[in-house]
Amino acid sequence: MSSLRQIAFYGKGGIGKSTTSQNTLAALAEMGQKILIVGCDPKADSTRLILHAKAQDTILSLAADAGSVEDLELEDVMKVGFRDIRCVESGGPEPGVGCAGRGVITSINFLEEEGAYDGIDYVSYDVLGDVVCGGFAMPIRENKAQEIYIVMSGEMMAMYAANNISKGILKYANSGGVRLGGLICNERKTDKELELAESLAKKLGTQLIYFVPRDNIVQHAELRRMTVIEYAPDSVQAGHYRNLAQKIHANSGNGIIPTPITMDELEDLLMEHGVMAQVDESQVGKTAAELAA
Amino acid sequence: MSQNAEKVLDHFNLFREPEYINLFESKRKEFEFMPPDQQVEEVREWAKTEEYKEKNFAREALVVNPAKACQPLGAVFAAVGFEGTIPFVHGSQGCVAYYRSHFSRHFKEPTSCVSSSMTEDAAVFGGLNNMIDGLANTYNMYKPKMIAVSTTCMAEVIGDDLNAFIKTSKEKGSIPADFDVPFAHTPAFVGSHITGYDNVMKGILQHFWDGKSGTVEPLVRQPNESINFLGGFDGYTVGNLREIKRIFNLFGIDYTIIGDNSDVWDTPTDGEFRMYDGGTTLEQAANALHAKATISMQEFCTEKTLPFIAEHGQEVVALNHPIGVKGTDRFLMEISRLTGKPIPVELEKERGRLVDAIADSTAHIHGQKFAIYGDPDLCYGLAEFLLELGAEPTHVLATNGGKAWETKMQALFDSSPFGKNCKVYPGRDLWHMRSLLFTEPVDFLIGNTYGKYLERDTGTPLIRIGFPIFDRHHKHRYPVWGYQGGLNVLVWILDRMFEAIDANTNIPAKTDYSFDIIR
Amino acid sequence: MSLTVEQVKQRNKDLIKEVLEVYPDKTAKRRAKHLGTFEEGKPDCGVKSNIKSIPGVMTIRGCAYAGSKGVVWGPIKDMIHISHGPVGCGQYSWASRRNYYIGTTGIDTFVTMQFTSDFQEKDIVFGGDKKLEKIIDEIEELFPLNHGITVQSECPIGLIGDDIEAVSKKKSKEYSGKTIVPVRCEGFRGVSQSLGHHIANDAVRDWVFDKAGDKHPEFQSTPYDVAIIGDYNIGGDAWSSRILLEEMGLRVIAQWSGDGTLAELENTPKAKLNVLHCYRSMNYISRHLEEKYGVPWVEYNFFGPTKIAESLRKIASFFDDKIKEGAERVIAKYQPLMDAVIAKYRPRLEGKKVMLFVGGLRPRHVIGAYEDLGMEIVGTGYEFGHNDDYQRTTHYVKDGTLIYDDVTGYEFEKFVEAIQPDLVGSGIKEKYVFQKMGVPFRQMHSWDYSGPYHGYDGFAIFARDMDMAINNPVWGMTKAPWKSAA
Repeated sequence: MSSLRQIAFYGKGGIGKSTTSQNTLAALAEMGQKILIVGCDPKADSTRLILHAKAQDTILSLAADAGSVEDLELEDVMKVGFRDIRCVESGGPEPGVGCAGRGVITSINFLEEEGAYDGIDYVSYDVLGDVVCGGFAMPIRENKAQEIYIVMSGEMMAMYAANNISKGILKYANSGGVRLGGLICNERKTDKELELAESLAKKLGTQLIYFVPRDNIVQHAELRRMTVIEYAPDSVQAGHYRNLAQKIHANSGNGIIPTPITMDELEDLLMEHGVMAQVDESQVGKTAAELAA
Repeated sequence: MSQNAEKVLDHFNLFREPEYINLFESKRKEFEFMPPDQQVEEVREWAKTEEYKEKNFAREALVVNPAKACQPLGAVFAAVGFEGTIPFVHGSQGCVAYYRSHFSRHFKEPTSCVSSSMTEDAAVFGGLNNMIDGLANTYNMYKPKMIAVSTTCMAEVIGDDLNAFIKTSKEKGSIPADFDVPFAHTPAFVGSHITGYDNVMKGILQHFWDGKSGTVEPLVRQPNESINFLGGFDGYTVGNLREIKRIFNLFGIDYTIIGDNSDVWDTPTDGEFRMYDGGTTLEQAANALHAKATISMQEFCTEKTLPFIAEHGQEVVALNHPIGVKGTDRFLMEISRLTGKPIPVELEKERGRLVDAIADSTAHIHGQKFAIYGDPDLCYGLAEFLLELGAEPTHVLATNGGKAWETKMQALFDSSPFGKNCKVYPGRDLWHMRSLLFTEPVDFLIGNTYGKYLERDTGTPLIRIGFPIFDRHHKHRYPVWGYQGGLNVLVWILDRMFEAIDANTNIPAKTDYSFDIIR
Repeated sequence: MSLTVEQVKQRNKDLIKEVLEVYPDKTAKRRAKHLGTFEEGKPDCGVKSNIKSIPGVMTIRGCAYAGSKGVVWGPIKDMIHISHGPVGCGQYSWASRRNYYIGTTGIDTFVTMQFTSDFQEKDIVFGGDKKLEKIIDEIEELFPLNHGITVQSECPIGLIGDDIEAVSKKKSKEYSGKTIVPVRCEGFRGVSQSLGHHIANDAVRDWVFDKAGDKHPEFQSTPYDVAIIGDYNIGGDAWSSRILLEEMGLRVIAQWSGDGTLAELENTPKAKLNVLHCYRSMNYISRHLEEKYGVPWVEYNFFGPTKIAESLRKIASFFDDKIKEGAERVIAKYQPLMDAVIAKYRPRLEGKKVMLFVGGLRPRHVIGAYEDLGMEIVGTGYEFGHNDDYQRTTHYVKDGTLIYDDVTGYEFEKFVEAIQPDLVGSGIKEKYVFQKMGVPFRQMHSWDYSGPYHGYDGFAIFARDMDMAINNPVWGMTKAPWKSAA
């Protein structure tokens, strides 16, 4: 129990969160760590690089077929992939129906009751972009994930999401034990990206734990439904993920309670680094025609 | 005009008077546009057929007249069994009004319980503020020793985190930091009221044993010779728990009834309203950790609680609502085995008296067919008793029964020659039962108050045993456990049988030759 | 012995102050607005109402689902009302409201049955619309004589975003225009049952009237057609009311909703007058019927001979002399019965003090009946009333009456303890609290399994029941004889 590290990756959708998490976890597995991945995104793509699969059968879809979660056994939902990494996907409804957040609660309760965490060094939750409701906050509740890693980039919306996720962590940090482990910047080649990511990390009271440079080899690996670690173990990019894995492994107990900033502060930060132009108040609310006149 | 001041007619008789009969007829004829009588009759007959039964049993989505309630009801049942404890249900307030009414209609007693009264804004922003304010109000107004928090489906859908909310409430000063607020998530869309009982019971024990949500050191078990007792969700809790205490006292052993709601649902009318009465003390709940063993009277009500207790080092024994001779034998022999104490002579005598009573009456029950429905353990206990009476529990149905229960019931049938033609129906409802009573009729039906609709429609005489019983009074004051309880159940069955026999033999010059004065 | 009005007002003031002391400041401030004393001449009762209940105080209120399924829709007997969501709501409200009806249950009528979609976790996660479609199919197969279906939403429906309107429309089309009514009465909406009434009324408007268009069942109008609105036929109330309207020469074409049918709802626009008993729960549809179809409405009160006579005359005033004479004839016919009832019971009840706390219209409507028996209302309040209810109450209560809106368990107990009334009239949750205290009690929602209480026939029963409650020998035994000396 005490040796179990419970971590979670959060981040805006499309940021490369699942890719980053799977590569990092694959590197951790290389280091001999026993890993369980719990995908908490209804689109269920948190384990496919590990399993070389399109999409894993999810707990919720299997439960719906069987009747209820009580009718499931752990082995029905858990698959084993690269370097014995155990994988489960929570799953959830189609967009626009039902309650995906409740699905996360259901799945995590099921895994705990079935003893999925026994004999594991790392549990990693891979969670949907934003903490939109109580269900998606489930992984950061007490006795769940202790360290949250936010995957972000230099894009404004990614930073906005990172700040929001920090708010969610703050909410639970006082009552439970959840901490922000750090930011992981996935390079998008935006202006002054590293600088910006470091500034945001500082504002949030945390560290930029790693800056993952962009490399097409990631896409090559993905096409083959593999992590870079497995596809090209000797590549430079694999080395980056190993470094990231090392950093996370060494980061135990270093998490902090984040200090999220206001929207205005965030905009100021972006302007400071020239990502966003100073707003000319006289132009606000004017149409193109008005401005041309 | 039929009404008169001397003999006031109320609904029982008023509406049978001609002026009302006319009123009903003209309303129906002119305004209701109901189907013609003949069509109603046709459909009524069709609904009795095998064809209808097949369609009825093919239902996949619709549930009609279920014999189960939702988790939070069981949560309240468990919580009020602790000294000075008020159940606090986090979610919509209407639910709490329902639980309180439901229990009051059964026990004819007040049931105190509060809600965090979440409304639309809480649905959007979460119910943290409702929890903070609610705990403070409850604590100040009702001066409880403990507040046991559970949830309605609303709070569960939006994903409110009780642990975090309670901690935050304490930080904000709603209630003292060391005040006991155990909690359990009790989603109404999982399981039934027996699941809610289980979750709350486990939540309360977890609170006291495992360090009160990280605020104190977990207790360390120091084994003693005491025995814990869990009754499960039980409509006879008042009579049953008192009988259980008598039995334990006869054994002369230390015991703890965990969740003793026998006093709070049986307070005297003496000029004082007791919001709290009796109950397991908080100290007893904590000390229950040290007990030698825990006996659960209802396996399916304690599916999580018992393993939790076992993990803490105790032996656990799960029974299935034992009723009658063999069930009670097993219960007493388990107590004896666990404690090393002999079964008291007095109880042995009571056993003999129950066997005596069965022997006196068995001729009337032998070979009679019964349909039973209710909670899984109760069904098991009743079926086992009927088998030992030589009766056949032909249809046994539990809406909240699952696969494990089905297997267990089948094994029981297989163990007796009287179980040969008996069938178990997990997950079915009382509309299924209605079909069964038409297509494969039985002599008697055992169930709760709602069974009276089946009795009316199918003519199967109903013996009221179960929860809720709204339309008969005081049954909950009588035990159904122990040999004395078995005697009560035997008498209830016999009374209904004799009534049925008399009602079937009372037409002068036609059937009354069998209208015997000695039976 | 008896206090002057000024003394009563002072006592009430002190009592309210004392009660508020138990609350945290914030709560005390909020509750203070709901407690007061009626001052003669004021336009309302001086209390705020229809405001959110405070968490944790033990409110007596229910929810919007209870207001829609339990009150407005549930009694429509030839329709099937699905409690859509988890099993509990439908289970706890199953047949508990005593909405009497005539019919073959399970074949052509369905009031005392519990139809539920029994939501499981997977229905929450994946949404329940497909399940609802299947449920409607199964209803059509197994209950072919049903005349319509309503979908009564429980809390999760609104939270998970199910589109029950789309399902209802689709299925209605599939079953050749069958009336299928989605009702958005999730329990977390609004502050009490009251919003559920409103939502249910609106659902009738949108999914029965608007949808039916001119498709009414065959129907020959007369100049004397009226509809009874807002009588749920508890213990047969609507029947003992209907009989009086018929006796005075009117034709009751619909009952809303006790013992009512879908056809009756559909034909109501043809009424010449809607007579409204429970203003709270059905004023909305009455106003709509007036605006859209020009049917005027009038409130009436059939509790106790004084109010019945007043109401019969008021209703008759909308019609010609034939009906006016009919009203007088009815009043005269029942006068001897009323005299006999009052002669028998008034001496036993004279001067007895009553405290009420009920829903709907009863906190004011029943006052006349008590006064006909010589009894006095010393305190009253509404579970879910609005300001217009408290305004209407001023015509009933006396100067100095204690008023408590959305009373909490604690407050009610303390008020009764201090005022020591001879009778409390409230609900099942309160009944045993006060009986334990030795105070006679009658349930005034369900008539304590008796009734009817409406109309002249009902008043005889009302009088008998109040007498049996108050003058019951049991209340003389609550104190053990060896203790009563103390």
